[in-house]
Amino acid sequence: MSEVSGVRSFHCATLLATAVLAVIAMGLAGRPETSIVPLVAPALRLDFATTLPALPFLALIALVVPAVALWGLRRGAPSDGSRLALFVVTMIGVFLAQSVAAFFLAWEAMAVVSAFLIAAHHERRAVRRALLSYLIVSQLGAFCILTALAILGAHAGSAQFSAIAHTAAGIPAGTRSAVIALALIGFGSKAGLVPLHFWLPRAHPVAPANASALLSGVMLNVAVYGLLVTGFVLAAPVPEAWALVVLAVGLVTAVTGALYAAVDTDIKRLLAYSSIENIGIITSALGLALAAAELGLTALAELAVVALLLHMLSHGVFKALLFLGAGTVAEAARTTDLDQLGGLGRALPFSTPLVLAGCLAAAALPPLSGFASEWLVFRSFILGLGTAPLMLQAAIALAIAMLGLTSGLAALAFAKLFGIAFLGAPRANHAVDAEAMDASVVGLGWLAAVATVLGVAPMLAVGPLISIARGLSGNVAVDTGALASLPSTAIVLPLLGAVAAVLIARARGVRGVPTWSCGSPATARAQYTATAFSKPLRRIFRCVLFPERQRVVDIGISRWFPLRIRYAVTTRDTLDESARNVAAFVQRLARRTRIVQAGRLRIYVAYAVVAMLVLLVIAR
Amino acid sequence: MIAVLQFGLVLGLAPLIHGALASLRARLQGRPGPSPLQPYRDLRKLWLKEAISPADGSPLVTAIPGVVLGVALTFAALLPALAGPRPFVIDAIALALVLALGRFALVLAALDTRSSFAAMASSREMTFASLTEAPLIVALVSGGGALAAAALMLVMLAETARIPVDNGETHYELTMVHEGLALEYSGWQLALVQAAAYIRQASFVVLAALLLPGGPAFAFLWIAAILTLLPLVERLYAKMRLFDVPQLFASATVLALASIGLRLAGHGAW
Repeated sequence: MSEVSGVRSFHCATLLATAVLAVIAMGLAGRPETSIVPLVAPALRLDFATTLPALPFLALIALVVPAVALWGLRRGAPSDGSRLALFVVTMIGVFLAQSVAAFFLAWEAMAVVSAFLIAAHHERRAVRRALLSYLIVSQLGAFCILTALAILGAHAGSAQFSAIAHTAAGIPAGTRSAVIALALIGFGSKAGLVPLHFWLPRAHPVAPANASALLSGVMLNVAVYGLLVTGFVLAAPVPEAWALVVLAVGLVTAVTGALYAAVDTDIKRLLAYSSIENIGIITSALGLALAAAELGLTALAELAVVALLLHMLSHGVFKALLFLGAGTVAEAARTTDLDQLGGLGRALPFSTPLVLAGCLAAAALPPLSGFASEWLVFRSFILGLGTAPLMLQAAIALAIAMLGLTSGLAALAFAKLFGIAFLGAPRANHAVDAEAMDASVVGLGWLAAVATVLGVAPMLAVGPLISIARGLSGNVAVDTGALASLPSTAIVLPLLGAVAAVLIARARGVRGVPTWSCGSPATARAQYTATAFSKPLRRIFRCVLFPERQRVVDIGISRWFPLRIRYAVTTRDTLDESARNVAAFVQRLARRTRIVQAGRLRIYVAYAVVAMLVLLVIAR
Repeated sequence: MIAVLQFGLVLGLAPLIHGALASLRARLQGRPGPSPLQPYRDLRKLWLKEAISPADGSPLVTAIPGVVLGVALTFAALLPALAGPRPFVIDAIALALVLALGRFALVLAALDTRSSFAAMASSREMTFASLTEAPLIVALVSGGGALAAAALMLVMLAETARIPVDNGETHYELTMVHEGLALEYSGWQLALVQAAAYIRQASFVVLAALLLPGGPAFAFLWIAAILTLLPLVERLYAKMRLFDVPQLFASATVLALASIGLRLAGHGAW
């Protein structure tokens, strides 16, 4: 084991300190606000306090950040730690902010710092393009958020969140709709809700793995926090129609993300699409909670809030685990292309079982956290099926079907990720650096342990979450008895079976033989690839995915014995393309309007004169 | 007590159900066919045989037959009592996700073999499964009825490797789905996987009977009806083209949603 350099340890210690900061912030819950009020402009006052809804999000930071710091002790660029630490501090700032100016300041700081994280390898063109699309979406979103908060502040006559929450009930219907729409666009663009998701699958493959872990594991949840606080505190109550819009957007996002994750062949892009899917699940539960709260079904609202917070925690943990695992793969094999990877299990004996845990969690399989949290999300929808009014019940039935499709597609995506990259024989990646037991493995192990605990004993997290949800939606007892017994019903027999099968194999022995391949040797070249694995799905959903294939045959001297065949399949993200078309249209429009900016003084004077004349005529 | 008895019956009779289906299908096709007790003999034979496995495989592969069997046992244990009240209560989500665990485990084992046949089968299995999860869950939460039972039976065709989705009788590598997944398992390991498949099939039959209207009095009648219907379908239809199968699952989803729709409209029995 080589020595860890001092610089690296320093940067990682800085990052670790922010986790401590998050814990301290959690400890300050219930304390009065810390305020800074400028004399000249009291509207720009900055208030900070730890509120109830921020607690699970701060807890997520405290759980994820130590793992990222540990991973950074051995892997990634040496100086990443401090940059990530700054990023974490800005996110904590967003969670603590209790006034419009404080929130916006922290939000923008977070956006800027995260842009620097994505731009780590800015010398590459793909990185700059990804950065540009991120910045555009991010700034558009920030503008919407600022407008929404400003409208709320103007109505309340105060920039403090507590004052806004007091007057929330009296907001006129039109204003309320505008605020909710703006918040949905603003926070939705940061969370990766369809159709504003397109920056995510571009930014993640190019960002460093530890940055991706925090961006996907934590920052997307900052946007969820924003939606939660807007819906339940600042602009509460949300009309049922808007709640249904949130539900629909969440469901479409979940299915879209899962579908693209299922057909993608790059580990990091697959994980990015999976984040979109999970944010969709969380958002759909939020939609259900908002609808239930508006209809006075407090028990349902409370269960849905608990479900979405648990899934938020669970997704944050396993996604950070998987992104860090992808970083380990990228460093060891120097690629994240699934079509080039295979048999990593042998070279990465320590990380492989931990990544498997992450994959099981992401596929919502027992006994990992994803199982418990998705079970609770489904559970809240099923509860709604029995109690909600007729129209909402119909929507819920559709929602259950779409969530079922989502979880099926997610299972496919992660069976592909783990089965193709970590099992079987090596493909193009013959030279994978063997890993040693080091700090990066410990980091992954910590996250895998948290994901397991959340899956085996979900009540540990659900207990505190219930008291938080109660604060948001009223005071009702939720029946979570089934959740407590869930892991034992789901996991005991498969686990016993696994142990028994291994013991019998020990006792009776299993003889190793070559793989049957109809008489010809089973070579690595004949192994199924990730592209081949998702082929049936690409074909079934071709009306959305528009798969295109290219086959280049180098014939050489005979058509029957080609020298080389190259085969590539691409799918199109239709929503991404339409977003690009909109961008191109805006650019064309801008070019047209540039004619008026001729750059000559005479013309500008003429504009001024014309404007004055028009004003005089109007004001006559 | 009834639950334990039912659990034991499902386990004990699962091979017989498979044998009876195979025997009845053979009769319908004009062949004498195997004895209904053949699956018991198969299991015994496999159990006594040595297991061989691809050399240099992942350690995971040894544990997976046990996981698959454990999942099938969990399914049988989760079944509500046939003699119990209707609509029955079942944890549909836990059931669907536990079944997904068994499938996921078997698919990983198949991908580890390096065999393209096994990998092809796993790709198809996961594709079908991603589309059957929605109708399965919706049918189970709908509260029962003929439409929900029909949806569940369509799902069952895929889950139990029956025509028109799959053909359990062939051993032609290019078309196998369920058989293909276990291609590299043999001997006692294959016995575990096979036993799991029998138990899962029997549990699906019981579940479909639970969904059908009529209550406990009709339960055994419904089981007999399902056991006749399945070989009839296999006698009357050919295997579907792979890319046509999703339409079957789309119909299943629509049927399951319609079942909820009818219940919302006040026609619960359907």
